[in-house]
Amino acid sequence: MSDNQKVDTELASKHGLRLSTDAWAVWVALLLAVLVRVGVLQHISW
Amino acid sequence: MATTALPIASERQNPLVRVAGLIPGILLLAAIGLAAKWIEQSINGYTKAHHIVFPNIEYVLWAIVIGLIIGNLVKVPAIFQPGIDTYEFWLKAGIVLLGSRFVLADILKLGGISLLLVFIEIGGSLLLMTALGRAFGLRPKLINLLAIGSAVCGVSAIIASKGAIDADDEDASFAIAAILGLGAISLVAFPLIGHAIHLSDHSYGLWAGLAVDNTAEATAAGALFSDTAGKVAVLTKTCRNALIGFVVLGYAIYWARKGQAETIGNKAAFLWRKFPKFVLGFLVISLAVSLGFFDKGQVASLANLSRWAFLLTFAGVGLRTNFRELSKQGVKPFVVGVLGEVLIAVLTLGLVVGANRIWTL
Repeated sequence: MSDNQKVDTELASKHGLRLSTDAWAVWVALLLAVLVRVGVLQHISW
Repeated sequence: MATTALPIASERQNPLVRVAGLIPGILLLAAIGLAAKWIEQSINGYTKAHHIVFPNIEYVLWAIVIGLIIGNLVKVPAIFQPGIDTYEFWLKAGIVLLGSRFVLADILKLGGISLLLVFIEIGGSLLLMTALGRAFGLRPKLINLLAIGSAVCGVSAIIASKGAIDADDEDASFAIAAILGLGAISLVAFPLIGHAIHLSDHSYGLWAGLAVDNTAEATAAGALFSDTAGKVAVLTKTCRNALIGFVVLGYAIYWARKGQAETIGNKAAFLWRKFPKFVLGFLVISLAVSLGFFDKGQVASLANLSRWAFLLTFAGVGLRTNFRELSKQGVKPFVVGVLGEVLIAVLTLGLVVGANRIWTL
């Protein structure tokens, strides 16, 4: 949803690790969710 | 949503160096966020202990205010900038994790209502902004950028469409400044109006999600009213964001036909490129929660992780709003923006009140 998206596809194909902010946010959030599910992250308080 | 220069998307540099470069700014965001949380808790503690009746001022407001003070009164050293720019990353990660607070049935009900209202809002906003821009004699592409920014999702929509319709940098700067300036005003105006006219949490959240342009400001405007309103505002705003590709594609085709922009080859690929991927992440988490993939404690942990991510976002919103820079962009686009946004706010408030009578939000 930003300039980063413009480079998203080209970068993804050329440099496997380069993603848009959007894609990074999704992957990091999903990773956190998995860590919570398997118990690595527990009882996160606010 | 402004553009974020996450290291991953920046030019060739050692990834570790890039990640290290983010740390000072992220620590600054965290420090502001924690200070905001401490102020909220301290005021609440003091007023309770002394039996003083005082409205609860959420950490959201304090985070934005502290960020604004620092960003406008102090020249923030360049070393902090890459980390400060990650606020959009935290916003999107926070939205994905916020999916844990919605079961799919909620999304289908609220999202269905939101989507219907979003269609009306987008159509109305595009027409209104175009009419106002023409009346004030703004340049056609600037009118389009303002219309797209106010109809869909603020700064991101403007940046996404700038390339697609081949607009000038100057026009994009004008439009972004107008949208950001109005976003700052909406943070104060919306909660005040919402409380003054006694909107319910759901109605207010729907209104903020429909009328506030930038996702970060819509999230903050919702959270300033209440936790539930913040949730609903994010869901509604997400529905708006999901439609960005279609709106930008429409304008791109229009300007390409006039020979003033590049022709779009593969329209499906164009739509996918413009589609905000965090919407999919939000739905995946919500689906996982709905299917019982997480227990109650884990859902609470995910919801709290989302709050922490938003805490960093709100600090970033304050830090990046620079009134001196905004004021340099001229008066006319801002006047058009103000008039348009006021009319859109009235239109969307009418929609929400109408929807409330039908569905009891």
